[in-house]
Amino acid sequence: MAELLQNLIDGLGRGSIYALLALGVAVVFGIMHLLNFAHGELITIPGYLTYWAFNNGWSWWTVVPLIIVSAVISSLLIERVAFSRVRGAKDFTMLLTSFGVHFIVSAGFLLYIGAAVKPYPRPGWFADTISVGSLNIEVFDLVVIGVTAVVLAATTWLLQRTMFGLALRAAAADFDTARLMGVNSDSVIRGAFALSGLLAGIAGVFWIMREGQVTPTAGINPMLQGVLAALIGGLGSLRGAVLGGLVLGLAEVLLRSWLPVGIQNLTTGFVFVMIALLFIFRPGGLLSVPQVERV
Amino acid sequence: MKFRHLLGLLLAFAMIAAACGSSDTADTADTATDDAAMLDGDDAMEDDGAGHSGLDIDAILAADLSNCADAPSGDPIKVGMVMDFSEAAGFVDVPGSEVVPYVASLVNCNGGINGQPVEVEVRESGTDPALATQELIDWGAHFFIGPPFADATLPMQQTGGGEYAIFAAASTEPTLADAANNTFLVTFDDNGQSTASAEFALAQGLTRAIIFTEGEGVPYSGVNPDAFKAAFTAGGGEIVSEQTYAWFVDTDFSSQVNEVASVADGSEVFFSAGAGFQITALRAQMEGQGLNDITYMGTDAFDATGITADPGGEGFIHTPHTLLEAGSDLEKVLEASGTLASDAPAFMPLYIDSMFLGIQGILDCGCADPAGIAEAVKNISGFEGTSGSITYAGTNGIPPKAVPIVQVTDGANVLLDTIG
Repeated sequence: MAELLQNLIDGLGRGSIYALLALGVAVVFGIMHLLNFAHGELITIPGYLTYWAFNNGWSWWTVVPLIIVSAVISSLLIERVAFSRVRGAKDFTMLLTSFGVHFIVSAGFLLYIGAAVKPYPRPGWFADTISVGSLNIEVFDLVVIGVTAVVLAATTWLLQRTMFGLALRAAAADFDTARLMGVNSDSVIRGAFALSGLLAGIAGVFWIMREGQVTPTAGINPMLQGVLAALIGGLGSLRGAVLGGLVLGLAEVLLRSWLPVGIQNLTTGFVFVMIALLFIFRPGGLLSVPQVERV
Repeated sequence: MKFRHLLGLLLAFAMIAAACGSSDTADTADTATDDAAMLDGDDAMEDDGAGHSGLDIDAILAADLSNCADAPSGDPIKVGMVMDFSEAAGFVDVPGSEVVPYVASLVNCNGGINGQPVEVEVRESGTDPALATQELIDWGAHFFIGPPFADATLPMQQTGGGEYAIFAAASTEPTLADAANNTFLVTFDDNGQSTASAEFALAQGLTRAIIFTEGEGVPYSGVNPDAFKAAFTAGGGEIVSEQTYAWFVDTDFSSQVNEVASVADGSEVFFSAGAGFQITALRAQMEGQGLNDITYMGTDAFDATGITADPGGEGFIHTPHTLLEAGSDLEKVLEASGTLASDAPAFMPLYIDSMFLGIQGILDCGCADPAGIAEAVKNISGFEGTSGSITYAGTNGIPPKAVPIVQVTDGANVLLDTIG
């Protein structure tokens, strides 16, 4: 029982990061129908800035805002340089563009920074634990879960109680009608990318802290987890993205714990089997939303 | 300027830079002439008293590029380098492809080999190592230096029909060595280094081990723990916990640590071929669970992933590919070639030795035929290279080299023992 509780907390901690990543993916998908495979670059770019900052005497107190701000700026730049060029193009074109951005950013770091792992120190407290009965709960997991809860509450407020949120939701429901009703498409799209970057930046703080290193392909794993979580939750559904992230995190930790020793390294494979089964029974994900075709 | 134009300019700049960085153009150490039979001579050579002429490596490394001997004018010795500049191997192959041409220039400055210049041509393996190999065969390469992974080395082998000597300079993968097809490692293999690690652990009185593996038989990340486990249990040790993980991916080991904490008492030796950044994360999580006195051991991945630069790596024990002697001519050569400050300086002697081993094969066979050179390489015995003594005679292409055991102390590797 104690190990199950321990694993549940660990899974929620991991899933919270996935939820933030998935939410960022879902926000952009809702507006542009773009499944953004360049989302991971919002971790890679701040990751290299983190490496640079620590080599120049910065501390985590100053690196954290650097990560968040750089993720937002990177997201806006990627939108301006790449996605604004293909706005209105077919979904497949935008998908390929996102792949292109990913490969160009990775190649840039590979060519100009190098292929090797670039390490930086993790915060001293990241593996500290708090004992509660027989449980040793990682402070890191508690912080991640707490911050995620606050961020999700703030995002909900932003989307539900502000004009920007109203415009974003209207555009997500029917982009063309929203434009006809006076919603500024440029502002909404840039706002969506800024929000996506902000969420990726906050997730990135925890991801980067735990990794302790960065490489040119550092963004692949968070991108895959974010996209997977968004797919599990139901593409386009913001609540689904959060749910998908938590489900994915819990599935990874619990499967890893429950699978017999000889096949534990198939955990990821089993996660994908479960996702495949989910899509057989619920093709739209856990919380599917009606898809509006763009004309 | 329109953004479309700006984007176009950026892409064009990136492509030009990529072309320059890939060294697809010749990294030639000297002038090219037609291939021909090798000649005997005295330049940069000494008699090693073992019945064949040996290279005077010390003299070559000490050569002064500002005061060279007459340029060698014989037929060139052509060294083909098929290098992987991607993330997987680029950390070693990028500096490796810089240090070899530099050392070739030292050879030529020293008068060449029997009056013959050494030429080095680098091709990036990219997605088609076979094509890169064929281009170098067409160029006239006498032997090859290849990347550390089988996905590139095997196509090289096939393209050369198994007739060319291929040195997988940075590799420790045992299945890659294949003397029958003239493919050679330049250092010990994973079985050797992990067995040595187990022997060292047992000699320290450590009898309980925790192993992290990617799965039995998985190249490198599984083979190393397999070998450690076999040697450790054969020596009377006990494996108290065996956990799996994803190599170079996982940094959250919560569920593994929960399981380890239920069986370990904190006095165990931990062994893995995991990347340094993974094991420092794992160590922090283990210590968070109260497992504070574990001895952390690992194989040479720690060389590759900057464990000495990671504050969490203090105290880690591992098996580096080579040990660089501070202030030596070799270190000066690495510094002058710009590779001492690279991500993998300890691998550079292996690249340098790869070139010298191929040249030694040429000297031993007195021929220019790749198959004859490879046959001679196969019979090399007691070659004193920059990375230690190398023998291929009677092996399957894995030199039986001694394994250094070092500990990260104050951010530097300190030698604890040498095994073998």
